[in-house]
Amino acid sequence: MKSGLYYKTKKVTLNLIIHLLLLTVATTCILPLLWMISSSLKTQETIFKDMSIIPRVFHFENYYQAWIEGGFGRYFLNSIFYTVAVVIGIVFISSMAAYAFSRLRFPGRNVLFFIFMAAMMIPLQGSFVALYVLLNKLHLRNTALGYILCMINVGLSTSIFLLKTFFDKMPKELEDAARIDGCSKIGIWWHVALPLAKPVLAVVVILNALNVWNEFILALLIFDSRPLMPLQVALMTFQGEFVTRYPLLMAGLTIAALPIIILYLLMQKYIIKGVTQGAVVG
Amino acid sequence: MLKFKSFYSALLFVFILIIFSGCVSRQESGKSVITVWHWMTDREPAFKELSKRYEAKTGVKVSFELYVPSDAYSQKVRAAAQGANLPDIFGILGEKRDFSSFIKAGFILELTPYMDEDNAKWKNYFFAKALAVNEFNEGNSYDIKPGIYGVPIDIMTIQMVYNKALFKQLGLNPNRPPQTFAELLDIGKKIKAANLQGLVSGWGEIWMIDCLANNYAFNIMGKDKVIATIKGEVPYTDPDWIKVLSLFKDMQESGLLASGLVTMVNKTAEQLFANERAVFAFNGSWCVNVYKEMNPKLEYDAFLPPKVTDKYPMAIWGGAGSSFMVSGRSKNKEEAVKFLRWLTEAPQQAYLAEATNNLPANKESINKIPQVLANFARAMDSATHPRVWGVSEFSPVIEALDKGIQSIIIGEKTPEEVAGEVQRIKERELKKRR
Repeated sequence: MKSGLYYKTKKVTLNLIIHLLLLTVATTCILPLLWMISSSLKTQETIFKDMSIIPRVFHFENYYQAWIEGGFGRYFLNSIFYTVAVVIGIVFISSMAAYAFSRLRFPGRNVLFFIFMAAMMIPLQGSFVALYVLLNKLHLRNTALGYILCMINVGLSTSIFLLKTFFDKMPKELEDAARIDGCSKIGIWWHVALPLAKPVLAVVVILNALNVWNEFILALLIFDSRPLMPLQVALMTFQGEFVTRYPLLMAGLTIAALPIIILYLLMQKYIIKGVTQGAVVG
Repeated sequence: MLKFKSFYSALLFVFILIIFSGCVSRQESGKSVITVWHWMTDREPAFKELSKRYEAKTGVKVSFELYVPSDAYSQKVRAAAQGANLPDIFGILGEKRDFSSFIKAGFILELTPYMDEDNAKWKNYFFAKALAVNEFNEGNSYDIKPGIYGVPIDIMTIQMVYNKALFKQLGLNPNRPPQTFAELLDIGKKIKAANLQGLVSGWGEIWMIDCLANNYAFNIMGKDKVIATIKGEVPYTDPDWIKVLSLFKDMQESGLLASGLVTMVNKTAEQLFANERAVFAFNGSWCVNVYKEMNPKLEYDAFLPPKVTDKYPMAIWGGAGSSFMVSGRSKNKEEAVKFLRWLTEAPQQAYLAEATNNLPANKESINKIPQVLANFARAMDSATHPRVWGVSEFSPVIEALDKGIQSIIIGEKTPEEVAGEVQRIKERELKKRR
């Protein structure tokens, strides 16, 4: 017969191991972030000499310099504008499309859905030239609208997939009840499906916001005018062919990371719900 | 429910507003006469300054547009070529094959007639080897009409640098770098005795080993024999090649090579040298800029790898750093050519070198730049590059040679063993192509 002490020791040891493991993973995740903030407060010289996480002298002026030299003001607003526009577009279109794929019966439904899924497999770089030529012909190259439409297209497949999976699990009885109350199909999508899909929508929002916020290659391809470029392009100006201005780059990265961290913290509750969604819907 | 509905409606309203705002056509100011696309972040402020000077002088506005990183820039240039949107002036990154495909498609203007005007006045601005990268000779394998198709903006050479303060510490003359390989090995012994780190370089990225091995191959056996080896007419087991490989063994045994050199990346090597933790470095001329950023007080100078013999000249790798091309479909061709001619004149080249620490392509501007840069630039007379040899070695052979040298340095293999292995791979590759 094993004593209570045995079980208590076993529990404590197991907890210790689990927590040590989690702590190690958490440290690995947070260390690059700490290094980024620490480097943003050093000079180009001390970044290579002083390896400590806490700098001996704090150079907060790096943030000011990065903001001014990188022209962050304009680019910051551009990035916010593109992120908001693209995310709204994706949420609107993908929620409608996903609901239609899940609930409406029409010929070629599965084929169309698989085509959308197949689009997820094509890397963006593979479509650069075709996209450039197409936008050129539509006179949308070097316009904000052209970039927004492209980015909406980039995020649609994944978002449709996530939302369709959610709508598939939604009980039909909820819709029947709404139909009895006189709701049309659009009405059910609007009044029933969307409010229930809030956790998944939060995941869609954060995934796409992150994607648009960090994107710069497509922007570089589509835009010729610098005033239209997003924030990430400004960060690249600190990275030379042979010399990288690390303190300014790290200060810039810290500034650029802030809005996404704030967005994540604001939507954290929904994201966790969204990730664990599936057990009970409705 | 009502709260959610109004929130969603608000989002929809913002989206529609944004889409409509995007539909407002954006007109360029239309003031720019010449547009230049480039990828050189470190040269952007200097280019902007030069553009202001050019506008003040001629009234022609030049707009420099920076697109980084360089691989994204390359994609943009390719896409723009397909969409017939190339700017007046641009650069092509990549191999000569890519360059030739742009010429064949008519995207690049031939500059030979402009270069040859006034007894080749413009052509004579440049180091001949800087121009060679942008030139296609008679009977070239790319089937391009012989001529010059690009303008070098700067050049680069790969040499050795030494730390003057550490030279003093070793009791050596800080103004006299080693002149012969024997002297270099003697310094290696002193470095070992003083417990210092000797030569650092990016030999973990093996192309830099290849570079130094080729430098010494040219010195020991001459260009013709190196080319004959590449053509398969001389085996790598030839005594001269064994001698080249043995140099690395000698360097290791003398204590000249820093510990961990065979796995070192160039960034680490630059960091070690800039922080005065290594006596020598083998690096490209771009290092002037890198060292300045890492340690502005660093006292150092550049020198050619010390020769083993006087039989043949020492050759180093070098040539054009960055080049600009004029779009063959530009409406501003003549203005673009005029601007490039002005940009490559001595005063502008000296300004670029001073502001960016890159070597000028104009040979007349050497006297107007800092000594360390001038020393790098003067070595252009000794410069060569595999791209201008007309033949190229098989990649597996290069890899076997470079990795073999790494094995020699760590004492895993002898020079004779490596030479034998490389020759076997060479024969295998030759057989495949026959």
